[in-house]
Amino acid sequence: MFKVLWRRKIGLGGFIVLISICLVAIFAPFVAPCDPYQLNPSIRLQPPNRAHLFGTDMFGRDILSRVLYGARLSLITGFSVALLSGTLGVGVGVVSAYFKQTGMILMRINDALMAFPEIILALALLAIAGHASLANVIIALGVTYAPRMARTAYGLALRIREFGYIEAAQAVGSGSFRIIFYHLLPNLISPVIVQTTFTCALAVLGAASLDFLGVGVSPEVPSWGAMVNEGRIYITIAPWVIVFPGFFVALLVLALNLLGDALRDALDPRLRRLV
Amino acid sequence: MAAYITRRLAAILPTLFLVLIIVFFLIRLIPGDPAAVMLGPDASPEDIERLRHLMGLDQPLMVQFGRYLLRVFRGDFGMSIAFHMPVTKLILQRLETSFLLALCSAVVVFCLGVPPGILAAVKRNTWIDQFLLMFALLGASIPSFWLGLMLMLAFAVKIPLFPTSGFSSVFQTGNLANFRYLVLPSLTLGFVNSALVARLTRSSMLEVLQEDYVRVARSKGVRESRVILKHALRNAAIPIVTVFSFTFAGLMSSAVVTESVFALPGVGRLVVESVLRRDYPTIQGLMIMIAFLYLIINLITDITYAFIDPRIRYD
Repeated sequence: MFKVLWRRKIGLGGFIVLISICLVAIFAPFVAPCDPYQLNPSIRLQPPNRAHLFGTDMFGRDILSRVLYGARLSLITGFSVALLSGTLGVGVGVVSAYFKQTGMILMRINDALMAFPEIILALALLAIAGHASLANVIIALGVTYAPRMARTAYGLALRIREFGYIEAAQAVGSGSFRIIFYHLLPNLISPVIVQTTFTCALAVLGAASLDFLGVGVSPEVPSWGAMVNEGRIYITIAPWVIVFPGFFVALLVLALNLLGDALRDALDPRLRRLV
Repeated sequence: MAAYITRRLAAILPTLFLVLIIVFFLIRLIPGDPAAVMLGPDASPEDIERLRHLMGLDQPLMVQFGRYLLRVFRGDFGMSIAFHMPVTKLILQRLETSFLLALCSAVVVFCLGVPPGILAAVKRNTWIDQFLLMFALLGASIPSFWLGLMLMLAFAVKIPLFPTSGFSSVFQTGNLANFRYLVLPSLTLGFVNSALVARLTRSSMLEVLQEDYVRVARSKGVRESRVILKHALRNAAIPIVTVFSFTFAGLMSSAVVTESVFALPGVGRLVVESVLRRDYPTIQGLMIMIAFLYLIINLITDITYAFIDPRIRYD
């Protein structure tokens, strides 16, 4: 009991951090001390000081302001990818579980997609898309994380499908559409929410990694991953350029993971003892 | 046992075939003419036509697919456009670094995952358990590129114990000191991938420690260390082995980033280089090879299960 409470308290901490980052992202124009795009070569690579709390980068841009604006991109990517992969994954998973013939083929394709390590599949999809943009990054990561969600939804839906109330619904003549939407999906929602939170954390990490590798959004856009990539060659003389953006990626992902853990404990007590 | 291995092998063949189909059609999703995209905007129509012919793009789709399958079975992935050499040779050149990195990282994953997981289970609900859980969560949250750079900053720049980047072959030079290039990358990869192993070791140990045979062993007066290592750990091993195979995929994924951070000439870095240069034959070859490796690792995992738990063989 103590552990659950402790975990939930920690989960609450994660939630507070997440909300704070969301607020900072929404009100970035008001809280950021400088324009994140403004170049000022005369003050390049300044260590943290009163005027620039996180220091300045190689173009003299204020790192704090860029970190605050960077939160927007990370959150948009994280939430959009979670939504896209959740919709795709649950759709495929539930349809596969309900219509067994189609399901066999769909889950085989799903298994084959899961044989590609996630970031490699995302990189390949981005290479095929031709040009890097926020939309392409979201689609690439969304498609990449969907098979994992489909697997979870499939396993759960397969179990629920055998329950008496599904049989009862079939017996009174409910259509497949009605059964899926009114009887299957509502019973899947808790584990799906938990998994979506973890996918959101993975997506933030994945998008930051793609930006770091130089295949994500364009470098002038304030993005945490791209900031670390740009600043890495100055690691010996100006480590602050990479320390702060990377720290915020870790903080956001940690907050999402803590929240996911707490949600799992609260929504699915059966899993509590397992993980 | 042979029958079991044959059964498992037969089960992965359809998946492998689907992987080949996915990769074939994925490359054909490139908007426009792949040959034109690969050669860039300055290419002449003759060059584009020549490349189209070379790649077989002027043939019907089914002919292209048939030829593609034949070439893949021969281990021929075509010529790399960016590196001007056969893709297979290119990948083989990079395998040593990635293989050694995966091996060293697996050792780190094991050390940071299994003993702390056992300890957390044994000391359940104490501060040690909470600390280890938090540590595992941190591992799952830190971006590998940032952890790598932080380790580089601490142990290569501030305290120059290890090289910042690069790698020199161990097999070709026979110089074991070259392993020092892999210390920081393996720590990075190992730490970010050990989180899941630690959590799963803990949970499977917790489950096993509540079993009757553990209680019997304790009531017989068997030493606690023996109960844990002999009676419990062996029975908790299956989920741990499973997660190790998942970790391999994790290692491949994070190796893409880690090899870029430390400028290691491995397969992961080749993935990024070929994506940045739009070298589609190399991307195609890498995807097939990596998925194939992943499926083989899964197969080995399944076979390991059967060794650990003989019941599985007769299911």
